[in-house]
Amino acid sequence: MTVARPPCRLAALGVVNALGGDAESVWRGLVAGEPSRLSWNDGLVPGRRLLVGAVTEKLPEILAPLARYGCRNNAMALAALRQIEGPLREAIARAGAARVGVVLGTSTSGVSDAEAAFRYQREHGGLDPAFDYAQLEFGGLAAFAAEWLGVRGPAYTLSTACSSGARALASARSLLAMGLCDAVVAGAADTLCGLTTNGFGALQAICEGVTNPCSKNRSGLTLGEGAAMFLLTPEPGGIQLTGAGESSEAHHMSAPDPSGAGAEAAMRGALEDAGLAPEAIAYLNLHGTGTPLNDAMECQAVARVFGTALPVSSTKPLVGHALGAAGALEAAFCWLMLERSERGALELPPHCFDGERDPEIPALHLVGKGESVRPADGTLRVMTNSFGFGGNNCTLVLERRA
Amino acid sequence: MSGPEGRGPGSTRAHVRRWFAWSPGLEDRAAWEAWAQAPAALALEGHPDASFLPPMLRRRCTPLTRLVLTAAFGASTEEERPRVRTVFATRHGSINESIELLHQVVAGERLSPTKFSHTVHNAQAGLFCIAAGNREASSSLAAGADTFACGWLEALTHLEREPGRPVLLVASDVPLDPTFAVLVKEPPGAYGLGLLLARDGAGPGFDFDLAGRGASGPTGRDPGRGAQPWPDATEFLRFLLAGEERLELGRFGWTRLGTPRLATS
Repeated sequence: MTVARPPCRLAALGVVNALGGDAESVWRGLVAGEPSRLSWNDGLVPGRRLLVGAVTEKLPEILAPLARYGCRNNAMALAALRQIEGPLREAIARAGAARVGVVLGTSTSGVSDAEAAFRYQREHGGLDPAFDYAQLEFGGLAAFAAEWLGVRGPAYTLSTACSSGARALASARSLLAMGLCDAVVAGAADTLCGLTTNGFGALQAICEGVTNPCSKNRSGLTLGEGAAMFLLTPEPGGIQLTGAGESSEAHHMSAPDPSGAGAEAAMRGALEDAGLAPEAIAYLNLHGTGTPLNDAMECQAVARVFGTALPVSSTKPLVGHALGAAGALEAAFCWLMLERSERGALELPPHCFDGERDPEIPALHLVGKGESVRPADGTLRVMTNSFGFGGNNCTLVLERRA
Repeated sequence: MSGPEGRGPGSTRAHVRRWFAWSPGLEDRAAWEAWAQAPAALALEGHPDASFLPPMLRRRCTPLTRLVLTAAFGASTEEERPRVRTVFATRHGSINESIELLHQVVAGERLSPTKFSHTVHNAQAGLFCIAAGNREASSSLAAGADTFACGWLEALTHLEREPGRPVLLVASDVPLDPTFAVLVKEPPGAYGLGLLLARDGAGPGFDFDLAGRGASGPTGRDPGRGAQPWPDATEFLRFLLAGEERLELGRFGWTRLGTPRLATS
C-alpha cells in the first residue's frame, strides 16, 4: 500500500551571496542578469588575480556562548538565518525544540579561518587561541545552527561537494515525511578560501575573468560563496519541494562522465519522484559551471530529457560557483522566481554569456533578458541541477500552484 | 501498523542484513564477536590491505579510504554492491590530508590536483562508486559526536525515498591530526563498519527514535560525557552482537524489533 508523502513546504528563505545580503537584492540582481557584483581578489592564489563572487556585506559576529563556532562560514549561515528569524522562532515554538531538525550542506566549512589560524601558527608557533576545531569539522555548521536556534532535533551536515546544498533539502524533506521532525532548517553555506581556489586552480578549472557557460569560448568556472537557509514544514500550499533525483557517476573523482548519463539519471529521477512528465517543467537552472566538460555533458543530458525548447540558464556568472552552497543557492533562486511570480507568469533569470554558442553541444533555449513563461495549467514547476566532485548528482523540483 | 513504504509509521525501521567491521587486530567476524563479549578501546594505528582493489586505485588510498572500502565491500556481495544506495558517515573524513594541503596553501606552495580532489568529504564515496560500478544515490555526512547516529538517520532518509532498495551505511574514522586531537574529546580509534540496511527481510530489525535520555544538551551529547571508551559505531556493533533490546547514544535510540514490550498498567 502506498502512503502518500506529506507536503513539504519551503516556508521561508534567507539568502546571501555576491548579489546582496537579502532576498530582495538577490532577486533584483538575478533578473538584471549582469555579473557586475563579482570582484577581483589578489589574495587567494599566489601570483594570480581572480574574479570571484564574494559576499561584500558585513557579516554578523558570532558571540559567546557560541564564540567557538566563530568563523566566516558560520557567519554567512547566520546572516541567512537571521533574515528569517521570525518564522523560524514561530515554527520552533509550534513544533517544540526537540521536533526541529537541522540539515545543512557545505564543502568548505571554516577552512578560510583554519588557513588564518595556520598563518598565525607560522608566525607565533601555536594555533590562534580563537580557533576551534568546531570551525573546521564539517559537522560544525549544523551544530552551530542548531545551537543558535536552540533546537534539539537531529543536526547534521552533508558534504558531497557541489551537490551538498541540494542534497540537504532532499534529506530534510525525508525527515518530515518519516514523521521524525515537524520542521527542518535546511540549506547550505560555503566560503571562498585558499584551499578551494588553489585546488581548482591546480585542476586548471578556473577561467580568466567571468565564467562563460555554454559558449564555444568557455574555459572554466568562476568561484563564489554564499548561504541559503530554508524553513521546511509538512504543510500544503506556498512553494513546495516536490521532487529529488540523485545519482552517482562511478566515473572519475574530478570530471563528469562525458556521456551525461549521471546528470540524466538525476533529472529523470527528480521527475519520477515528483510524478511529472518533462513537459511539466517550465524552467531549468543549469549546473552550468562553464567548464568545457560540464556544459557539454549537461546540455546533452538536458536535450535527451527535455529536448531543446525548455528555457534554461546558468546563474553561475552572476554569483560564481559557491560549491557546497550552490545547490541551496540555486534552489533559492528558483524559490524567488516562484515567490515573485504574478498571475501565473514566471520571470526567468537570463543566461549570461558572450553569445557565442558552442556548435558542438545541443542548442538549448538559453533564457534571454526580460524573458518570462506562463504555463498553460497555471502550476509553476522549476528544476535545478547540482553535480559534484566524486560524481555525486542531485536534481530538485520546486512547485507553486496558481 | 508498519507498511512496506517509506513514509509514516514504520518508516523509522531498518533491518541489518549484513555487517562487516575492521579495526587493527579486529579483522574478522570471530574477533568482533569476542570483542563484543569483552569490549575495549580500539587500536589507533593500522589499516587493512584492501587487496580486493585494483593496484592503481589501492596505491592512492589513504588509511581512511582503505578502512571505508574494506567495510563497504565486506558488508555487500558482488551482486548487491552496484545496486545499493550508500551513506558514508565520518566525523573527520579526509581532514588530516586537508590539513597537509592547508599548510601548503599557507606556505604559498602549489597543490597537487589529485590530492585536492581526494580530500573532499565524499572522496571515499566517489572511490567506492568507481570501484563498485555503483551509480545510485550517495550521501556523505558529519555530525560531530553524533556522526554515527546521524548516518543511520540519513540511511533511513534513503529508505524513505526508495523503500525497496537497500542502503549501505559505512561509518569510519581514523585518529585526528595531533594539532586538533587535543581540542576534541572523543573515544579514539581507527575503524570501519559497514551495515547493509533494508526496510524488511532477513537480519535483526531496529526501530530508530529521538527519545534517547542523553537528549539534554542543545546539540546532543557533550563529547566524552558518559560515553563508552570506543566509538559509537562499534558500540552499535556490540549492541547488535550482544542481542540487547535497547541502545541509546545521546538523544538517539534503537529498539530491537520483535522485542516483547512490557505491559504498561
